[in-house]
Amino acid sequence: MTVAAAIAPTRPAKTGQPVATTALTAATLLLPIVAINTLGFLVPVFNLLLMSMRKVEASGALLDAWTAASWLKLFVDGFYLQLLWNTVRVSALITLLTLLASYPIALYLHRSRGTWRNLLLVLVIAPLLTSAVVRTYGWIAILSDQGVLNAAARALGAGAPLRLMFNEVGVVIGLTEILMPYMILSLLAGFGRLDPRLEEAAASLGAGPFAVFRRVVLPLSLPGVALGSLLAFVLSVSSFITPKLLGGGRVFLLATEIYDQAIVTLNWPLAATLSIVVLLVFGLALAAYGRVVRRIG
Amino acid sequence: MDRASVMVSAPSHLGLRGLTKRYGSFVAVDGLSLDVAKGEMVAFLGPSGCGKTTSLRMIAGLTPASAGEIVVGGRELSGVKAHQRDIGVVFQNYALFPHMTVAENIAFGLEMRRCSRAERTQRVAEALRLVHLEGLDKRKPAELSGGQQQRVALARALVIRPSILLLDEPLSNLDAKLREEMRNEIRDIQQRLGITAIFVTHDQGEALAMCDKVAVLNQGRLDQVGTPEDLYERPATPFVASFVGRGNWFEGDACGARVELPWGTLAVARPCTGRARLMVRPHRIRIEPQRLQPPAAGSDGEWNTLLGTVERVVYAGDLVQYEVRVGAGAGANAAVTVERSTGAQREPVAVGMPVSLSFLAADTLVFGNGG
Repeated sequence: MTVAAAIAPTRPAKTGQPVATTALTAATLLLPIVAINTLGFLVPVFNLLLMSMRKVEASGALLDAWTAASWLKLFVDGFYLQLLWNTVRVSALITLLTLLASYPIALYLHRSRGTWRNLLLVLVIAPLLTSAVVRTYGWIAILSDQGVLNAAARALGAGAPLRLMFNEVGVVIGLTEILMPYMILSLLAGFGRLDPRLEEAAASLGAGPFAVFRRVVLPLSLPGVALGSLLAFVLSVSSFITPKLLGGGRVFLLATEIYDQAIVTLNWPLAATLSIVVLLVFGLALAAYGRVVRRIG
Repeated sequence: MDRASVMVSAPSHLGLRGLTKRYGSFVAVDGLSLDVAKGEMVAFLGPSGCGKTTSLRMIAGLTPASAGEIVVGGRELSGVKAHQRDIGVVFQNYALFPHMTVAENIAFGLEMRRCSRAERTQRVAEALRLVHLEGLDKRKPAELSGGQQQRVALARALVIRPSILLLDEPLSNLDAKLREEMRNEIRDIQQRLGITAIFVTHDQGEALAMCDKVAVLNQGRLDQVGTPEDLYERPATPFVASFVGRGNWFEGDACGARVELPWGTLAVARPCTGRARLMVRPHRIRIEPQRLQPPAAGSDGEWNTLLGTVERVVYAGDLVQYEVRVGAGAGANAAVTVERSTGAQREPVAVGMPVSLSFLAADTLVFGNGG
């Protein structure tokens, strides 16, 4: 209280909380989240950074010595740059496909009302109640050589089975479906400014359905598109189980490689280095999102 | 120009023929037929839910009609989509595109009509001048006041030079002072451009002040269409009489040009039989102390005179409102509201004073069976 009085001596005590007390309250309220983030995020990331510069033996034994070997490997060995590019490319493709598949659904949901809307929303969210592992096995049942799709193709007289699994195609199909609920919910959250009256106004001014979509609906839905794309991209980059199972070890992405280095090869410094690269990719994606959002206001 | 002659001689620019909208068994608009001459502004007036906005939306092509025809300039519009109708609409909440600047909003309709860039720029500047928004062309709608947004909406609808301008309660979101200002401005612009306009409103003051003709809608039906004076002086139905302006209502038994009330007999505007409802506008009643001579029948026609006692006086600045108890005995008396302009009263009247009320038979409107 003496501090508050010193800072705001002219403010009468009765008109409200002095500035310093308000700041103190805010700091007290923020303390838990600051503590959790420091202990649960900043400290581990710092450890990761230290780990990436540790020396390691081929056996996986960590030595008490520092080296830049893992970071050098990243840039000198073409494999890891290829891995980075692969990850960004496949994730971008998945994000795009998720967006295209989710947009019409979200738009329809945005326009529906009442019980029907609630029912549809439950249907959209329902897949999140099963784990990604279960849903990935579901896709295996559909996409494998003996799966539903190939059985149908055989019944229609197709020769060799379609290769829908253990390659990029499988990973893209599986992740697109798995990420759709997140995308739909983000789009819905971002559709706030989309008002049917604006579409009517555009129509009354002579805009046909396509022009209404291109000039009014699409621009106003961009905040949702940006949010959903960010979320889908980040989740896609960090997804591990689906690429592992549907890629069958033949699709090389950062997340699967980190697992291999950490668990199989026992090269923890390299795994840590790749993890930091993933974090940097996230940072860049977030920065890009910030720019887009500022642009579209 | 004489309004009545315009109404009779001018050919119809907008014609509605039996326009109907049903939602299941509910009839929102029931066989609306109406002709609007070129350059006329017609109000659709009625309480909420009377079908006025639904009618406007059907004309704009935003709601499909269940039955009936809409003819604009000789062209029947039932198969024509909203974006091909060439009808300008000002929406209640303006519906400005939030992601576009003022200039982009106004230019939108011109772009859709594939106007050249040069023509667009010129016509947008013209429209901005028309609504007095020069210099605000680069603002976003969110950076404008309600009145300014209203002007942008008007400019955006007018810049395409539509065959008809539809205004859906355009003033309802503005504060009272601004509403008065925009009311005059919209009327000015409409007359200057000679554009045919429909003005949807629930505010009888707006309808009477702004429009050449007023169509009163009641539960989906057209009760009366006429000049503001027609509606006020010669309402066709009790609904119109009570919705437009204020009135004192009485009920009695009619016999010719007289109506028997529980507390007296009144001469009425036209002969009638059976049960009838009477209405007298409060400001058409004179109020005087009883000792003064009531007006005698003269060139104005017959006068009704009632005796009573003043129960309440409310001073409202521009007018004084008196509540007068007329007749005698329980059940055989009635409260009559009288309004006089302040300054028009010859002799002051106070609470408790015995007074005589007098009003012309011509001002005693009667609604009855077969009348």
